[in-house]
Amino acid sequence: MAELNPFKIAQAQLDAAAERLRLDLATHDLLRWPQQELRVTLPIQMDDGKIQIFHAYRIQYNTARGPAKGGIRWHPEETIDTIRALAAWMTWKTAVVDIPLGGGKGGVTCNPKWMSEAEKQRLARGYIRAIASQISVSKDVPAPDVYTTPQIMAWMMDEYETLVGHHHPGVITGKPIPLGGSEGRGDSTARGGVYVTREAAKILNLDLRDKTMAIQGFGNAGQYAALLGNEILGLKLIAASDSQGGIYNAKGLDPKQVVDYKLKSGSLKGFPGADSISNEELLELEATVLFPSALENVITAANADRIRCKISCELANGPTTPEADEILYQNKVFVIPDFLANAGGVTVSYFEQVQNTYNFYWPLEEVHERLDQKMTRAFHGVYQMYLQEKVNMRQAAYLVSVARVAEACKLRGWV
Amino acid sequence: MATSTIHSGIQALDEVLQGIRLGDNVVWQVDHLEDYRYFAEPFAEAAIAENRQLVYLRFASHPPVLVNRPGIETVELDPSLGFDYFTREVHLLIEAHGPEVMYVFDNLSALVVEWATDELLANFFQITCPYLFELNTVAYFALTRGQHAHYAVARVRDTTQILVDVYHAKNQIHIHPIKVWDRYSPQMFLPHLVGGENWLPLSHSREAAEVLASARQSPLLETTRPMAPWESVYQKLVHYGDTPSGFDETDPEQLALKQELSRMLIGHHPVFNRLADLYFTLDDLFAIRNRLIGAGRIGGKAAGMLLAQRILLTEKDEAGIDFSERLDDHDSFYIGSDVFFTFLVNNDLFRLRLQLTCDSTTSHEEFQEIEHRFLAGRFSPTIQEQFRAMLDYYGQAPIIVRSSSLLEDSFGNSFAGKYRSVFCANQGNPEARLADFMEAVKLVYASALNPDALCYRSKRGLGANDEQMAILVQRVSGMPYQKYFFPTLAGVAFSRNLYAWSDRIDIRQGIIRLVFGLGTRAVERVGSDYPRMIAISHPQLRPEVGVKVSKYSQHQMDLLNLETNQFETHFLTDVLNKGDYPRLHLFLSVMRDNYPYDPISGKVDGRTEQWVLTFNNLISRTDFVPLMGNLLARLEEAYGQPVDVEFTASVDASDRIRINLLQCRPLFTPGSLVDVSVPTSLERQQILFRSHRMICGGLVERIRYILYIDPQRYYRLGSEAKKSLGRLVGQINRHPAIQADKIVMMGPGRWGSGNIDLGVNVTYADIDNAAVLVEVALEEAGHVPEVSYGTHFFQDLVEAQIIYLPVYPDDTASEFQKEFFEAAPNVLLEFLPHASEYKSVLRLIDVPKTTEGGFAQVVADQQRRHAVCFLNTGATPMLKKGGEDS
Repeated sequence: MAELNPFKIAQAQLDAAAERLRLDLATHDLLRWPQQELRVTLPIQMDDGKIQIFHAYRIQYNTARGPAKGGIRWHPEETIDTIRALAAWMTWKTAVVDIPLGGGKGGVTCNPKWMSEAEKQRLARGYIRAIASQISVSKDVPAPDVYTTPQIMAWMMDEYETLVGHHHPGVITGKPIPLGGSEGRGDSTARGGVYVTREAAKILNLDLRDKTMAIQGFGNAGQYAALLGNEILGLKLIAASDSQGGIYNAKGLDPKQVVDYKLKSGSLKGFPGADSISNEELLELEATVLFPSALENVITAANADRIRCKISCELANGPTTPEADEILYQNKVFVIPDFLANAGGVTVSYFEQVQNTYNFYWPLEEVHERLDQKMTRAFHGVYQMYLQEKVNMRQAAYLVSVARVAEACKLRGWV
Repeated sequence: MATSTIHSGIQALDEVLQGIRLGDNVVWQVDHLEDYRYFAEPFAEAAIAENRQLVYLRFASHPPVLVNRPGIETVELDPSLGFDYFTREVHLLIEAHGPEVMYVFDNLSALVVEWATDELLANFFQITCPYLFELNTVAYFALTRGQHAHYAVARVRDTTQILVDVYHAKNQIHIHPIKVWDRYSPQMFLPHLVGGENWLPLSHSREAAEVLASARQSPLLETTRPMAPWESVYQKLVHYGDTPSGFDETDPEQLALKQELSRMLIGHHPVFNRLADLYFTLDDLFAIRNRLIGAGRIGGKAAGMLLAQRILLTEKDEAGIDFSERLDDHDSFYIGSDVFFTFLVNNDLFRLRLQLTCDSTTSHEEFQEIEHRFLAGRFSPTIQEQFRAMLDYYGQAPIIVRSSSLLEDSFGNSFAGKYRSVFCANQGNPEARLADFMEAVKLVYASALNPDALCYRSKRGLGANDEQMAILVQRVSGMPYQKYFFPTLAGVAFSRNLYAWSDRIDIRQGIIRLVFGLGTRAVERVGSDYPRMIAISHPQLRPEVGVKVSKYSQHQMDLLNLETNQFETHFLTDVLNKGDYPRLHLFLSVMRDNYPYDPISGKVDGRTEQWVLTFNNLISRTDFVPLMGNLLARLEEAYGQPVDVEFTASVDASDRIRINLLQCRPLFTPGSLVDVSVPTSLERQQILFRSHRMICGGLVERIRYILYIDPQRYYRLGSEAKKSLGRLVGQINRHPAIQADKIVMMGPGRWGSGNIDLGVNVTYADIDNAAVLVEVALEEAGHVPEVSYGTHFFQDLVEAQIIYLPVYPDDTASEFQKEFFEAAPNVLLEFLPHASEYKSVLRLIDVPKTTEGGFAQVVADQQRRHAVCFLNTGATPMLKKGGEDS
């Protein structure tokens, strides 16, 4: 029977990396646990006048490399172990892209689909009042996550500033642009993924111009991957899919037209000049680059053998299962693991925090340029580890990030 | 054609008419029943004597025409059940009796009392007479002279073979053959004095003039003493209205007349009648009559609309909403139900309809042929003239021609989507507009024979009911924008919320399905495009967050193109791309970084591709939702039961909402055209489970497959296997053999959850073939999980009418038959041979194989929030303990 507790899974992943890095016991043990956990109970008045009690959390997993960074999730099935696991993964993610931040996560057990805007605002403010002592630009910087929005970030920032009595926009990222949000956040995840794909192609000696790409999942990341994959890398889009199914044309699809059609009609279904294709068939197409951009667990032991792309750039979280990972590695499918491939989002969040602190805002081009530098450097860091340790890219990414965090802990004299 | 003659029983009459032939219909126009009896009795006697089959059709309240005796088969019929029913019964009777039968009918004039108009009497005759002729029968009919409109008598004369006027002059009875088909003598068409062995013709001019002048009826004038209530009741009411004291409802006689007029226009349903009596003034009824083309009833849809308008304008409530300032006036016209029958009769379509109603197996191809026949039909010049006058009134304003049949939208029935509504952009010259309009009317008429409608009628046991197709002609509300015409807002609203996807939502406060543009997209379901669903108790709640708001929104709109004169569908952004449509900021949000932002000013920024129709500002900044809530509550209270309405709405420059109420009827759940009351007589072993919360009700019969994902085994499954499970579900969903049958999918927890511990990780495309989706909510350590109501793809389920049921196996009230699901033979590997390692958790049950030919059935009654899945009667599970997997 497999272990299903997400935190235990996260610990197991760390254990594997720690063993390979031969971390000392104390460091290993330190990294197995969150540094600080805050659990609060929030009484919130609902629109009908009744008070409802919400349980909420904020966890700073590790701050050795800098202030904790991580989203706030509002989900009905939220548990502290989910948040612990996600806080750990944020620690590795900030480390792998080498930004001076640690990892954190927060959450409220609630169902935002059942709440009015006014109730959400009261909950957002109540949450910040409860955790205010534990956050700041130099302690812990929350951001949007599952079911939380830029609007909620704005309310939270406002509540925090009210409490501290001065402007402090960097306490939270993912804010609307008029309140200090950064330019370039919209396409940051896809853009980061495209930059690392470019680097992967270089080391694989692949000229991507006029080669093909297939995109599974055509939400925000998938749409930008189609546009930027074409614009930056010269890739030809041959297939894309969403929850209603996919479209395919071996001769190529105009990414702009496909994106416009999706925005206009809400789905890809019926896009003119393309054949229908299922999500599963799309994954197995002979495309040079595959962008799994939607769901978890789409590439499993059952279909991994049929994946024929050269590069799989994981814009979605967890599209490939560990068993499938091993099969892809053996089959020489070059996987850019999720927490590297989609780290563009957290990187631009970090840029937002930096701009807030300086109270000076960069033009879009500068955001792109800096993101490119960060992602490129991060990719090569992982790739060197991949060569050095002869492990798959995901394991290499873990090794890089755990080593960086461990080193910071050591330098601080914690262990 | 047979020409053999029969005896009329009166030798002299046979001589005058040169014999009555098989095939003859003989109409006696009389002043008194006695005069009719004078001829009918000898006819009957002769038929009995000659051993001919004789049928007496008894339907009038007058004394019997024939004395009951051996040799006469008396068949009683009830004309009060309506023209359609009566005519069909007579037709079936004639058919059953076959050729060469003798018939005597009661006085036809009695039918007018029941049916209100002479038109229907003439229609009846015009349909029945040729059939009798074909069958070589002889039929006697009577008409009371001077009480019917000239045109009706003329149609009777044109149809029958023999028409004889009978009258008294100088204390003697005379007959005057008006028409004797295919027979002639120099004196045949003169008046004849009845008496003696030979009836003498009045051939002398002086005699003839004396007799005819003393006969009562003026030969050329319209009747001065109409018998048809349609005219007589109206004239009396007009008379009362013209008296100095005016119409007085406290006078029982006047009140009775008003009620009679109301029944003639609205129909006989007790609830409608109660409301009509309560809310319609005499002026309201006159106003309806004044806008009625032809005669007859206005049908359920028109009546519902008018009643709802009147209720809202009459009733005041505590909230202080004065609907006279918030409701648009309507200026609709009605095409009376009699026009439908006259059209059928005049264009030789009535018999076709009779056949189809009895035998509802018309294919869609055959229906197209029927439509062509309707389109080739013609309206009478009088009706066309009225159509012209109506079109002149509307000018070039777009109109909609809507079915408003007698059964439609009345209590307990709804033909939503079965009968047609046709938009007329109403552009072009008057001739072209008339042609378009008449085509629209004919298409609506033809839809009464639509296979779906016939099937629905038959399923509901309405096959033989009086179903007359009235038509409601409404001005399309809206305004021109660019080259288009459409209402700003349109939709349907239900006074009960049958789609409550959260326990917070108060189902008693109703729900609105709102669209931009014509309301067709809210009424009909268009798959991947979605109206905004607004729960009136919690208008801001929606089952989607973030980017899904965009996905589950309306992307296309329906409108009328004034240049092409067509109903069209366009992408919203193509129509609105100039951004200058008034009050756009109330309807649109702008998607930025996956989140919808509501405009804070009167301007909508962003690129058009970022626009998403949320109506958020309409909901938060105007009183649209409370207004609709109030409207529904008032109507529900007046109707005494839940209602649903169809509406359009506009917003003026000061954000004030005005509603145009297009339709109101007792609540009907879209798509559920069947009785969904949960059976009470089920045996314990038939029941597979019950559920008391759901979205989408309905009835699913003949369920062949049940896919059951064993919750305990699922939770014990390794994470890798769990992750693959959703893909296998998708493969089953898409399997051609499964798609050919119905399947129920039952799985632990939240279908579609991204978290595999909370439920099976599928997308909508993995389950879209399921007729019923069941969320098995297992209690874990005393914690009853919160059910998801399918909110991961809520709108998809609603639009596709997939029934979503949460089931709590640990609750004894659920009667969950765990053993059936666990022990039934598993046919999974027959469909997915590669899935052997999942066979313990993924159980595919072929119900007929398990139950010796039985099927499963799901009945979900949304209103009572009770659903049950059961094996149909006689089917009992044939389970071996620990059934073997295949």
